[in-house]
Amino acid sequence: MASLSEEVLLVVKKVRQRKQDGTLYLMAERVAWGPEGKDRFTVSHLYADIRCQKISPDGKAKIQLQLVLHTGESTTFHFANESSALKDRDATKELLQQLLPKFKKKANKELEEKNRMLQEDPVLFQLYKDLVVSQVISAEEFWANRLGGINNTDPAVVNNKQEVGISGAFLADIRPQTDGCNGLRYNLTADIIESIFRTYPAVKQKYSENVPHNLTEKEFWTRFFQSHYFHRDRINTGTQDIFSECAKQDEKGLKSLVIQGVKNPLVDLLSLEDKTLDEGYGICTTLPSTSNANKTVKESSNSAIIKRFNHHSAMVLAAGSRKGVFTSLLTASSSETSSTDGNSRDSDFFQPPVKKVKLQEAIEYEDLQRENRPKTVALNLKKSDRYAHGPVPLQSQHYTTSQDIINSVNYIRHEMMNYKPNLTEVLSSTAASSAIAALSPGGVLMQAGAQQAINQMVPTEVQGELKHLYVAAGELLRHFWSCFPVNTPFLEEKVMKMKSNLERFQVTKLCPFQEKIQRQYLSTNLTGHLEEMLQTAYSKFHIWQTRRMMRKT
Amino acid sequence: MKLNIEGLLVYFPYDYIYPEQYSYMLELKRTLDAKGHGVLEMPSGTGKTISLLSLIVAYQRAFPLDVTKLIYCSRTVPEIEKVVEELRKLMEFYAKETGERNNFLALALSSRKNLCIHPEILHANIVVYSYHYLLDPKIADLVSKELAKKSVVVFDEAHNIDNVCIDSMSVNITRRTLDRCQNNVDTLQNTIQKIKETDAAKLREEYRRLVEGLKEANVARETDIYLSNPVLPDEILKEAVPGTIRTAEHFVGFLRRFLEYLKSRLRVHHVVQESAPQFLKDIFDKVCIDRKPLRFCAERLQSLLRTLEIADIADFSAVTLISNFATLVSTYSQGFTIIIEPFEDRTPTIANPVLHFSCMDPSIAIKPVFQRFQSVIITSGTLSPLDIYPRILDFRPVTMASFTMTLNTFNVCLCLVALSSKFETREDFAVIRNYGNLLLEMSAVVPDGIVAFFTSYVYMENIVASWYEQGILENIQRNKLIFIETQDAAETSMALEKYQEACENGRGAILLSVARGKVSEGIDFVHHFGRAVIMFGVPYVYTQSRILKARLEYLRDQFQIRENDFLTFDAMRHAAQCVGRAIRGKTDYGLMIFADKRYARADKRGKLPRWIQEHINDGSLNLTVDETVQLSKHFLRQMAQPFRQEDQLGLSLLTLEQLESEEMLQKITQIAHQT
Repeated sequence: MASLSEEVLLVVKKVRQRKQDGTLYLMAERVAWGPEGKDRFTVSHLYADIRCQKISPDGKAKIQLQLVLHTGESTTFHFANESSALKDRDATKELLQQLLPKFKKKANKELEEKNRMLQEDPVLFQLYKDLVVSQVISAEEFWANRLGGINNTDPAVVNNKQEVGISGAFLADIRPQTDGCNGLRYNLTADIIESIFRTYPAVKQKYSENVPHNLTEKEFWTRFFQSHYFHRDRINTGTQDIFSECAKQDEKGLKSLVIQGVKNPLVDLLSLEDKTLDEGYGICTTLPSTSNANKTVKESSNSAIIKRFNHHSAMVLAAGSRKGVFTSLLTASSSETSSTDGNSRDSDFFQPPVKKVKLQEAIEYEDLQRENRPKTVALNLKKSDRYAHGPVPLQSQHYTTSQDIINSVNYIRHEMMNYKPNLTEVLSSTAASSAIAALSPGGVLMQAGAQQAINQMVPTEVQGELKHLYVAAGELLRHFWSCFPVNTPFLEEKVMKMKSNLERFQVTKLCPFQEKIQRQYLSTNLTGHLEEMLQTAYSKFHIWQTRRMMRKT
Repeated sequence: MKLNIEGLLVYFPYDYIYPEQYSYMLELKRTLDAKGHGVLEMPSGTGKTISLLSLIVAYQRAFPLDVTKLIYCSRTVPEIEKVVEELRKLMEFYAKETGERNNFLALALSSRKNLCIHPEILHANIVVYSYHYLLDPKIADLVSKELAKKSVVVFDEAHNIDNVCIDSMSVNITRRTLDRCQNNVDTLQNTIQKIKETDAAKLREEYRRLVEGLKEANVARETDIYLSNPVLPDEILKEAVPGTIRTAEHFVGFLRRFLEYLKSRLRVHHVVQESAPQFLKDIFDKVCIDRKPLRFCAERLQSLLRTLEIADIADFSAVTLISNFATLVSTYSQGFTIIIEPFEDRTPTIANPVLHFSCMDPSIAIKPVFQRFQSVIITSGTLSPLDIYPRILDFRPVTMASFTMTLNTFNVCLCLVALSSKFETREDFAVIRNYGNLLLEMSAVVPDGIVAFFTSYVYMENIVASWYEQGILENIQRNKLIFIETQDAAETSMALEKYQEACENGRGAILLSVARGKVSEGIDFVHHFGRAVIMFGVPYVYTQSRILKARLEYLRDQFQIRENDFLTFDAMRHAAQCVGRAIRGKTDYGLMIFADKRYARADKRGKLPRWIQEHINDGSLNLTVDETVQLSKHFLRQMAQPFRQEDQLGLSLLTLEQLESEEMLQKITQIAHQT
């Protein structure tokens, strides 16, 4: 099965799977395992299908690696080579660790899309349950022509998809857990790592500088979590910490941002006051003596926290808008020189219009002016009360009060008293009586009533089940009929498969249902129409098959 | 529209008008008619500035001989610029309506860099500048002293005017000041030496002038050409400069002696507090410096600097400071206190002696303004209780009125949360956690921006640290980004801009800030930039400060204002400033949350402005965090409904016809809450 073109990245022998010895192969796009002595893979997973890998804790007797798929299934490999099991496993893990994220993006996007479709469309979801979960058809078949819409769209549209921002609290999501022996465990996911990298480019830089040449990935993150950098209230003590440089870089970035100043003059606290009190005048309660020497450890740790929060929020904000501080931070030194020497601040030249606009905004009283902006459509709420309070249980107001009834009776009586039949424009008696007959039960216009009767006879639960069967059958039939005219080998294969799918559907879904209703409602044949549709499909298939045989012979 | 305000034609550059604007103009006109002073409180966002400008400009046009000039003082540079913009709008409206270009000259001074516009000020019809140009004697002398008597002076955003007055008259002297002063004196001596060799005539000429005394200034003051300078006492104008400091060398020698004396005073090991007369007695006993030459010190130095033709006066700021101090301390026997502290309270081991010469009486600085100008209007969104300003500024207003915002529906939801934060218990773990929970809950409910104010910076730092340890901040981060005011203005500006960016792009953010800080005094959080504002605790001033204690004593003895009344008044005006930051107009809406049960007490509530008190009802008192959240949810859903002009018309927004109806005019007269 392994096609020759596939590049094999890693081969690990003596790997057991389901108590069977075999060999594990890591290839360019998939991981596969074949039992010993056989020339085929019994296990094969595309990287894109793998959600994550898990490894057995150090010190366990069995050295295992588990692959968890997006579908929820998992495959466990047991590394059984006595001498090098741990090494084998770690090599596999490291390689997978590098490979998986590459496929993750794509898989995630697809998966997200599928998920979204299922969530938004309850009918589709039911269909998925009926057909895929009950294994009538495989998930790939199910999605085969549904996802077409996604994959076939203009790539530009896909690429322009709005970038997902970063949660402000992503660091909070890394809740440390005690591991029972005086240590802390942090669970990192690829998402969190990405968030850290996007928010703190300095850390990413450190990562690419140090991993894997100087540190393993695990060591890197361990140091990260131990660093004062992660614990914002700790004050930088040593310089041996590889993250102290990150902190410095952050500091520098922050400083350059501060130096750049703000664009909106109305929030510029520096130019807020027309500073006319000279030094030495005024009741200044706190004199400028905030040198660090005067601060207690606690105070400087507190102000470090505050700084960090501001920085973190700014970085998260910048990461969300992709450009922005991100680049300006990395090029901090260059922009610094251009902005401090005073002359090169061209931006000053452009400042006034911004200021003018902001001032105009600030003094505008829109409600004092006659409205002349385009009319917008206001949300028209019939019951704004319900909007404001949320749904409320049915209450007595739905019942008509006796006063209302009396009023309406009076009204009708009043109407009746003044009623004057217009005798020149009435129907003839024959036409009238035939109309009455047509509208009576059993009449021509009351045909629908008979079906209603069935509706009322069958409990809603069976009705629902029937509906699902119809939808599922419709879906399968749609697949089936879409194969005609069968003019390619692929379609041939597909039509065969679809026919067997239909048969399987009949056996696994339709027949049990038939038996069930026969047990309860002997007389009613609810599934007649469904069977008819299947039969039509079968006969079409037979005609096609006989024709094909004839052509072949 | 064109309005008729008791017979005065007022051009108002909008199609509609708020009833309270009309009422405000009415009161303003009555004040001008009476040629008296007024105290007017009206919430921000009700178009106070344009009402003021419209009416006063109309008044100037109608009675050009009675009111020659409008002097409009505001606090911050953006405020000043806004006034100029509004004025421009008004002038454009005049031009459009009357068809002629207005020959009004308006002038805005916004920075000391453009200070040499002296003659222009005299001709301008309207001058817009910062408080300091009028209240700080050092600047007023340069800029404002020739302003005509028939001017109308407006102090907008005047809720802190007493502090501005006090600041302008207070001096702090550190060792560094004295060192720099020493250098100044040395430079002076060298310069004098040089001039003596090259141009001795100049010094002789100065001596002659000084013998003549300051007669010129005296004539000017008596003939009422100048705004008097509170630093320059009346008596000395009539006298010649005393002989002991008349020659340049003698004066420099005198300064040296004074400087040595001050140095010796800073060599203390314990805190010293004394009155001005005590200080004068001590200086006479120790170094034989008399009161009289001290009083001439500031004036004598100015003369010397002029004579020596020193271009950069900024270099001599230290010696100027010292001589200003000398003049002040010898002029006022009351209203000032001297406190010498050998070190800061927080760091008793580090010697950092400071001599505080603190003004305790704001009326001293503002007295010349009230005396000189025929109408002075004190106005702001928060001036409650109204009667306290005339008392502490020592003047008699002819009108005092408070206006509220008329609304068809309440656009403010006010919650008084029953949390405790008394000074003694506020470091309490439970208190801090409750605060955190409130903020956390609100962060999940309120859209876009939330601003939270703390009572002091140190307190906020501690709370932030605890919230960090307790994981509260991390939970808040799930809902909104967090930005925090720092003591660095540039850093805070950046945080503010980022905060606005986060509100703008829909992420939502929380700004943690400090009452009495720069943000609480100067930054508006309109619309989505502030959907909720939370005041944690009551922002009392730090009462342990010796300067404050002295001031409180003074207020008690001189004005019969009880300490607690003043402290509460001061705390409430700052709390009102903070919560008022988020509501900047009738189309704006927001939650005001006072997170401290003490706000529910009558003595606190009663000191809040009327437009805030109005929103307090039984349903908003003593709430739990949960109840606050429920109330907020309900309120925010209501507010999410579209705001329509039609609903406002006739109630909180009037057309000209509606305004002229008898019934409405009657209603409007009730808007102004007279005290």
